[in-house]
Amino acid sequence: MTRHTEDDGDAGDSNETTESSGGCGCGEPAPGVPEAGRDEQPSTFVPDGGEIPEEEMTADSEDGRAGEDRAATDGGVESASGGAESATGGTDSAELDPDAYDPVDVFPGGDLDLREGADSCYKCTSCDTSCPVAEVDDEFPGPKFQGPEQWRLKRKEDHDIDESITSCSNCMRCDDACPSSVPLSQMHNEARGQYVERQMEKLSVEYIRNRILANYRTSASLASMFPRTASFAMNFGPARWAMEKVMGIPKERDFPEFATETFREWWKARGGAKVENPDKRVAYFHGCYSNYNTPEVGKAMVRVYEHFGYEVMVPPQKCSGTPMFANGMLKDARRHAETNIENLVEAIGEGADVIASCTSCSMSLRQEYPELFDLHGIEDVAEHTFEALEYLRIHEDLEGELEAAGGLDDERAFAYHAPCHARNQGLSRQAVETFRDVDGVKMEDVGDSCSGISGTYGWKEEKYEKSMEIGEEMFEHMEDAEGEVGMTECPTCAMQMEHGTGYEIEHPLQLLEDTLGA
Amino acid sequence: MDRQVDVVVVGGGSTGCGVVRDLARRGLDTVLVEKGNLTHGTTGRMHGLLHSGGRYAVSDQKSAKECIEENRVLRDIAAHCVEETGGLFVKRPEDSEEYFQEKLEGCKACDIPVEVIGGEEARRREPYLARDVEKAIALPDGAVDPFRLCVSNAADAREHGARVETHAPVTDVLVEDGEIVGVEIEHETGPGKRVHHEPGTTEEIRARHVVNATGAWAGNVGEMAGVDVEVRPSKGVMTVMNTRQVDTVVNRCRPKGDADIIVPHETACILGTTDEEVDDPEDYPEEDWEVDLMIETLSELVPALEDARTLRSFWGVRPLYEPPGTGTEDPTDITRDYFLLDHGDRDDLPGMTTIVGGKLTTYRMMAESISDHVCETLGHEATCDTADAPLPGSESEARMEELMDEFGLRSPVARRSGQRLGSRADEVLDEYDPNPIVCNCESVTRAEVQDAIGDAGSDLNAVRLRTRASMGNCQGGFCTHRIASELAQDYPEPVVRDAEDELYQERWKGQRHALWGEQLSQAMLNHMLHATTMNRDGDPANLDGEVDFGAFDAGADAPGAGGSGGETGTAAADGGRANDDAATDGGRADDDAATDGGRADDDAATDGGRADDDAATDGGRADDDAATDGGR
Repeated sequence: MTRHTEDDGDAGDSNETTESSGGCGCGEPAPGVPEAGRDEQPSTFVPDGGEIPEEEMTADSEDGRAGEDRAATDGGVESASGGAESATGGTDSAELDPDAYDPVDVFPGGDLDLREGADSCYKCTSCDTSCPVAEVDDEFPGPKFQGPEQWRLKRKEDHDIDESITSCSNCMRCDDACPSSVPLSQMHNEARGQYVERQMEKLSVEYIRNRILANYRTSASLASMFPRTASFAMNFGPARWAMEKVMGIPKERDFPEFATETFREWWKARGGAKVENPDKRVAYFHGCYSNYNTPEVGKAMVRVYEHFGYEVMVPPQKCSGTPMFANGMLKDARRHAETNIENLVEAIGEGADVIASCTSCSMSLRQEYPELFDLHGIEDVAEHTFEALEYLRIHEDLEGELEAAGGLDDERAFAYHAPCHARNQGLSRQAVETFRDVDGVKMEDVGDSCSGISGTYGWKEEKYEKSMEIGEEMFEHMEDAEGEVGMTECPTCAMQMEHGTGYEIEHPLQLLEDTLGA
Repeated sequence: MDRQVDVVVVGGGSTGCGVVRDLARRGLDTVLVEKGNLTHGTTGRMHGLLHSGGRYAVSDQKSAKECIEENRVLRDIAAHCVEETGGLFVKRPEDSEEYFQEKLEGCKACDIPVEVIGGEEARRREPYLARDVEKAIALPDGAVDPFRLCVSNAADAREHGARVETHAPVTDVLVEDGEIVGVEIEHETGPGKRVHHEPGTTEEIRARHVVNATGAWAGNVGEMAGVDVEVRPSKGVMTVMNTRQVDTVVNRCRPKGDADIIVPHETACILGTTDEEVDDPEDYPEEDWEVDLMIETLSELVPALEDARTLRSFWGVRPLYEPPGTGTEDPTDITRDYFLLDHGDRDDLPGMTTIVGGKLTTYRMMAESISDHVCETLGHEATCDTADAPLPGSESEARMEELMDEFGLRSPVARRSGQRLGSRADEVLDEYDPNPIVCNCESVTRAEVQDAIGDAGSDLNAVRLRTRASMGNCQGGFCTHRIASELAQDYPEPVVRDAEDELYQERWKGQRHALWGEQLSQAMLNHMLHATTMNRDGDPANLDGEVDFGAFDAGADAPGAGGSGGETGTAAADGGRANDDAATDGGRADDDAATDGGRADDDAATDGGRADDDAATDGGRADDDAATDGGR
């Protein structure tokens, strides 16, 4: 009953992605983007789906073996020459207990039936008033319509989802706003997945663009083979002009620079963990951005955690799925989730908790995974996942350590923006609270607005203006703040902050590293 | 005023609407009179099942055969009123295998297409079915919207020259020279549409023949004519769930019993029902145990019902009839067949025919047979074409794509509009641009509400029945005022206010039976919103006489009253609150003392004490509120 996971063509499928996405103006799927129809599998487990084809079984067992060969702590660095990560076979629901019956399991076609979620909605409209997109986009009917109303109006045979679902940026502020626990973002994710699956033209530029944006990891892993060339090429004027015209990627935005050494390369060169401690283990989910673009965040995480005596494990991992959810690419997200869950479950088995430095990654593992996928161990992973700073604040005397460390000699001031996904995890104040008593650090919260980029949302030409309009309040507050350096936990918020103000943006872990002298 | 028509039909339910349509199409000059809205009586109070006949396949094969025949006809002529959901008769382990087989054989004998499926397959089709459902018979049950069905019949009748008069109760049956010659109706006051007459007036409608199609009320009309019609009204509860747990009609496969059917109806599921004989179709108890029974028993079939949100419950009365002398004890044993009583033959009082019994699914067939009878009596030769002529709205399917593109509707809105309006969708939606949504829960746009107002006038309950506006999870909390304001262009303010009140009260009536969990929260939120934003807990515009605003402060002479002194105002508010608390406390203290004293003495004294106490406390609270409001 195991779903076979295909090689997602991560690396090695093609070397042309970076170049061609800029230059090639054809309507064909860009190389590196899985072709439409290649992975036509339901995103949710369907028990009565019949027998498993022989070849899938074989493929799976091979995957399984390959996975065993690799210890979770070994660094799991993918070789740039195209060796995909080994453990791709998810072991989902093989032991599905017939008594633990859940209607989700048998809904035809693998779609979730979320109509009952509408029972909790009182129509109070708190979600609509908290929605940053609805505020600037008159065409967007808002989360209440997208979620409980649209679901309630569905009948079993109704499969048409309103196109406006594609305007939702998946910031998930509605989840936070709802006083009645309506599963809004789950409804949006599922509806968007169904929309993309059934109604979106798979050869359309929009689909291909979204697929590329959603599969950032694929592009990034290719780009980081030739980081300097890629950084240049991606931001090369004529190439950007062409990307906007052909792919709908706004030329105003600067592509992030690719690190010359990825985090995982650094980790391998370093020889892995410097601290061994079976009693205090964490598995680091660095996510794509810390790996390919800002390895300094990952390095800070490792040093800070080792400072506190943790043994850091860096299990093999793929994209957390955040950009894929936001683009309705649930199958891609599920495939990546299979790898992540398998490896993280193994790490948890070795006593580790899962730590993410990106608040969207932790959000995904904690909330979206169990809401959308039925994979063995997915609830365990959700329960054991924490954001990096959050975990230290729970388990360590961070305040005492920081006081003992004595603060910074040269005063630094920061304009801190709490990402929406951090807000949903109750973490919006953690950076300010951690650093407010540290000598030499001035941390100013720039308010509770959304940055407006919401991952890939601001990377779409048709959404660019809206994205900047949403971000306007944050930009203004940043300008007003004393600090000239921005701070946030979220990589794409950081892009937006930098884009709107020209500030350099840091992650709280980097400041923690500095202030602890780790 | 005394115009002679061919036929007057009394009763705007499915039978009456069917008869008036049939007779009008046969070229007779016909009037339909109804004391409330169309579907006001039993028709509007049923679970909306389009029978395949399966339910009667064992006990009453004649009815079963009629059902399957008419089921096929309605799918055709009333496509926009019918949802082809399919149905299941499911068997749980404790249900009799013998009966399952009997049911199966019965269906086959009645030409009802059946398929036996296993529990797994049943759960594949309906994932929320209980795990221990063993097997099921699948057959072509469906859902039908009785409101839309009746309205479409009436609309078609009107197109063929009939007159339809609602809110016009029959006050007398005219008997002259041993013959019934018409009826007297009263045009009631109220927000209904009155085309022909002023509210409060009466009118005699003289007719060559009267059809009494008043169902459970047939006895009342009979009485006015001086004949006995022994209808045995039997009540049944229907409980409405907020969402559809099932998309197929789910029946329990066992001999007659309460709480054995779940019908997916529009956006909701309706659970039914009970069967209890009552004396008066207008006045019977609506009891808690009936609602509890629905949810408890049907949870055996669909466990999710136990925790699901219930919107409301309503009761209907079946117009059961049995020929005099049958003497059936249990109402569930009374036949569901219909009876045509010609009072000329039966009571030697020609000029009126009564039709009783029957069911919505076979309404057209009943209408045809009574129309045949009327035509024969009147010597009118015409053939019936109601089995082939589609109802207005069902001429063709609504085209979703066009609705979305042409009228800029979002897809669920276009889908719902299309399902409700059928082939009329284009014509209705074309009227308004922009066309905002008035009722969000059910996705009803202004164009549809205005279309219904055009048809039903200022009676917002009639608008509700036509559009489903206010029938979703907020039960009108967020839309009654919006719907009412759609009237404001054409009707004076008092009419609009009355209409709004009437709709809101009607919504409350059913919601009362669902006040726990989520719907209780919804009701409280509705109440607070209406009270705090529209003053509906005491709207000055609805109070008799002028409001003495001065009384809310210490009075016109008090410092700061009506003045600009913000400080003083605040002080007054605080003072008011303090006084209030004191008064309440005082009241409570007295009360306690009185109660204690009472207890020491005897029980009677205790009760007395409590009453005093309550009064004192309430008084204190009332003062407090007034004082606080004034201060604010």
